Amino acid sequence: MSDDDIILKVTGLKTEFRAEYGLVKAVDGISFDLRRGETLGLVGESGSGKSVTNLSILRLVPSPPGKTVDGKVLFHAAGEGERDLLAVSEEEVRVLRGRNISMIFQDPLTSLNPVLRVSLQIGEALRLHHGLSRREARAKAIELLRLIGIPDPERRADEYPHQFSGGMRQRVMIAMALSCDPDILIADEPTTALDVTIQAQILDLIKSLAAKKRTAVIMITHDLGVVAGMCETVCVMYAGRIVERAQVDDLFYDPKHPYTRGLLDSIPRADRTGSDGRLYSIPGSPPSLVGMPDACPFHPRCARAMDICRKAYPPETLLEGRAPRRVSCWLHAKEGPKP
Amino acid sequence: METRALRKNSIALTGLAIVGVYVAAILLSFVWLPFDPVAMDTEHLLEGPSLATGHLFGTDEFGRDILSRIMKGASVSLVISLSATALGAVAGVLMGIWAGYLGGRWDQVLMRVADVLFSFPSLLLAIFVMAILGEKTYNVVFAIGIVYIPQFARVSRGAVLTIKSSEFVRAARSNGASSGFILFRHLLPNILVPLIVQVSLSLSVAILLESSLSFLGLGVQPPYPSWGNMLSAGRKVMVIAPWTAVYPGLAIVFLVLGFNLLGDGLRDILDPRLKNAR
Repeated sequence: MSDDDIILKVTGLKTEFRAEYGLVKAVDGISFDLRRGETLGLVGESGSGKSVTNLSILRLVPSPPGKTVDGKVLFHAAGEGERDLLAVSEEEVRVLRGRNISMIFQDPLTSLNPVLRVSLQIGEALRLHHGLSRREARAKAIELLRLIGIPDPERRADEYPHQFSGGMRQRVMIAMALSCDPDILIADEPTTALDVTIQAQILDLIKSLAAKKRTAVIMITHDLGVVAGMCETVCVMYAGRIVERAQVDDLFYDPKHPYTRGLLDSIPRADRTGSDGRLYSIPGSPPSLVGMPDACPFHPRCARAMDICRKAYPPETLLEGRAPRRVSCWLHAKEGPKP
Repeated sequence: METRALRKNSIALTGLAIVGVYVAAILLSFVWLPFDPVAMDTEHLLEGPSLATGHLFGTDEFGRDILSRIMKGASVSLVISLSATALGAVAGVLMGIWAGYLGGRWDQVLMRVADVLFSFPSLLLAIFVMAILGEKTYNVVFAIGIVYIPQFARVSRGAVLTIKSSEFVRAARSNGASSGFILFRHLLPNILVPLIVQVSLSLSVAILLESSLSFLGLGVQPPYPSWGNMLSAGRKVMVIAPWTAVYPGLAIVFLVLGFNLLGDGLRDILDPRLKNAR
């Protein structure tokens, strides 16, 4: 794959929140590339900065108190030049939202406006970005409802969100997000609020629709099962940074970072429990993001922590293998102070 | 669905019926009145209510028919209170939703201005505005409208504040919606319920304010009838002819009651949080 295929290049992204008790570094220097048609997984615990990363990309971080203080988000649309979404005008980003980059949110129950008809909401982006008339937008909305498998779309189009089930509402959100054929779809925990049976349907829907248009997908999740089923590349986030980035198979079969290993061991499995018959969990809890020292943020919970881990943040190390992968851990560091 | 709830709600229904009687009387007054409301009749000064003379509510000190004047005054009162409420609502809601949505300095400035306006008693503020604008009937609309602007601004700002951080607003933003689009397409429909209630309650207060201004001689000028100036005229002869003051007074009381009942009932019907309390 050539670099022309890179549609989104995030470098050194930093987003902070000013809270009463101090400065929260929610995202602390994130870099990743996204290629056309690729599905990238962003995993991590609650509060690791997954959602803030993606809100920062679209400049949707509520401000104040949030502020993206550093970094570049280079977006390269087909047939257009590269531009830094953090540097262009608000109006320019607004036009990109929903047309080139769109989002699906976690909770389909609250993501739809309760007092507006479903067809109106699906057609909204089309009217905003392509200047469709009310009637054209409604026709397109019905077409989209059919595409996402809602039975009797002509009738359902004129109903209100409360007349739809949770799974159907998430389908409606997907229809909304994909109405303008975006280049990038950001799915922020799209299945967390849904039943397991519905989860699979929603993921299949996202997968097939994205494949059809070669839409790149950023899948934010804390469910490693979703990652295994959906993504080609995975970024594991911890305390506002990416600690490991690898192809999905490499990550699952041979996790390099102790945190990744811990995450994988925490997956409940029918055939395996801990020695005392309980589920495994990583000891301790995620660190407070206020006033973090220059150290590996995972060291208090890490079974293999060394002296150096308490003194400096590990550099990102490129590991050769079947596919190149990157990890930020002193265990794998090639340069710098040796333990 | 809502009409069924309205039919079951006896409070709202009573209010609606009372307002309906007034509206019917006003419509009737356009085509037919028992007597000319401004024509003096020196033969029948201060006559008590009587079927025989046809003056059902009696006559005033100029011999004018009280019932006709009340009917004529009803349209004046209602038109003034409707347009004043409309003025206050449109201006106040625009101010309030902008302030609530944008927040920050704009919000601070607007709300402090609203606080200042709030710190005057409504009537005093209305008198103040009338004094500046002059004693014209249409100026009553402006006076009451200005009194209402901060009230509507507050209600709509509060409502916007509670929903502006909703997920669907974020979803709309991520879809490329501009602030204006979000305000008018997403937020406004969501705050209509508290606004409808506020409108119906404001109508009743507007009736009172209009009557008060006319009573004080600042509103509708004689000889044109308004409940307020009728009450004011009747006050002087109340001891010998109580009907001159009692009937306009009752007209005010019942219309205000009607709007209040309607407002209360509507709030019960439209506010889902109160559904279980009933």
